[in-house]
Amino acid sequence: MIRAENLYFSYNASPPFVLNGIDFELKNGEYVSVVGENGCGKTTLMKLILKFLKPVRGSIASEAKRIGYVPQKQGSMNSGFPITVYEMLDSYRRLLGIREKAVVTESLRRAGLEEFSAALIDTLSGGQGQKALIARAMLGSPDLIILDEPSSGVDPSSQKEIYGLLRKLNEENGVTILSVEHNLEAAVLNSTLIYHLSKGKGHVCTPQNYAEEYLRNRGES
Amino acid sequence: MLSYGFMQNAVFVSLCISVLCPCIGIFLVLRRYSMIGDALSHASLAGITIGLLFGQSPVLGAFVFTSVCGALVEFLRSYYEKHTDLILSIILSLGVGTAITIISSGRLRVNADAFMFGSILTVTKTDMIMVLALSLVSLLAVAFLYHQMLYIAFDEEAAKVAGVRVRLINYVFSILVASAISVSIRIVGVLVLSSMIAIPVATALQLGKGFRKTLVFSVIFSAFDIMSGLLFSYYLNVAPGGLTALISVALLLAVILAKRLLSGVKGRKSHS
Repeated sequence: MIRAENLYFSYNASPPFVLNGIDFELKNGEYVSVVGENGCGKTTLMKLILKFLKPVRGSIASEAKRIGYVPQKQGSMNSGFPITVYEMLDSYRRLLGIREKAVVTESLRRAGLEEFSAALIDTLSGGQGQKALIARAMLGSPDLIILDEPSSGVDPSSQKEIYGLLRKLNEENGVTILSVEHNLEAAVLNSTLIYHLSKGKGHVCTPQNYAEEYLRNRGES
Repeated sequence: MLSYGFMQNAVFVSLCISVLCPCIGIFLVLRRYSMIGDALSHASLAGITIGLLFGQSPVLGAFVFTSVCGALVEFLRSYYEKHTDLILSIILSLGVGTAITIISSGRLRVNADAFMFGSILTVTKTDMIMVLALSLVSLLAVAFLYHQMLYIAFDEEAAKVAGVRVRLINYVFSILVASAISVSIRIVGVLVLSSMIAIPVATALQLGKGFRKTLVFSVIFSAFDIMSGLLFSYYLNVAPGGLTALISVALLLAVILAKRLLSGVKGRKSHS
């Protein structure tokens, strides 16, 4: 689904590199969480996949026919924008060229947001806002959903619902998921694989191996 | 009042302004670019003077020059990503500098004051044709690009993921801003033109509605502001631009006051 080869990136196109020659492969149907300390390049990797940034060296390519994107609610969207949940989804449906209006209500139903359809986005709680963004990402049956810290600013019970929804999309609908995570517990509990980025390099491991590695490192420090 | 030909012309142009300005203004305001709209409206004075200097329609001159300035804003944005307020100074210097140079050269045979303050007497048939053509084309473009412009203003990254050509649409949008400004200069005048672009939208935002309803209310408020401005300017014999700006601010304050009173009444009801 996604393949990165010998990927280098820095914001001024010269060393030191944020991503320092990484190789990465995401197969269809996986649920991969990208973890690592602040500033290790998690969000940069996501932006390279989404083509918001261009690699300095190496390549990154995606075979996804349709990508659903879930930004961090506060980070990307225009706060104070007068838009209802329904308008946000319906306008996006039009951008994607989907004719059937019913996909909007279906997406809201799956995200459990039918009753908030007429609410302004700004008035939603962190959890409801995140679910609205996931509902938007589900429009048009994407084969890949990319999320940027989906549990950021979300209460524990809403986190449970959000990860339940993501797992359902992954297990029942075969949607490949790539989630940039700061929530290590959620990453270990929900992912099929973990991509650990550190000092510009990365490696893939199983959630169990990552948990063991994490506990071992904590014990040493 | 409406039996006078000049008033019929003024009402016709005002109707075009009241629809077009908020349709463009809502995107400018929500992208936090209302001050760039202000800079572009001041820059249009240069276009007017260039038009007059070469014996062409001042509305056409304003449209061409403001479109160039709009494109320049987009171009400069990549150089001053973190200092967008500087773009304002650059555009103002270019526009007002050009206008002052041409006016002070003494080569203009027409007085440019009417364009600064707005006038109901000076709308010509050529202006009306220009205003109608610009309004129709611009409104069609807004209808066609509505969802793209909405998403660029709301969530640019999501728009890019959906395949929207953000940069291209930003350039088209700067031409639409130029069009709204050119349509409005005859009646509203350069100095308070931004009031027609920003204030009806600011008033509608106070109602706390979704995007479509906010747009509809912006058009309603805009029509009220400009038609009242026109009516009172006729009877008081003053420039319509200043009065329209005053009425738009008064309406904004009235809506804020009404909102406060209503929330106070609701609060008392819920306590009792």
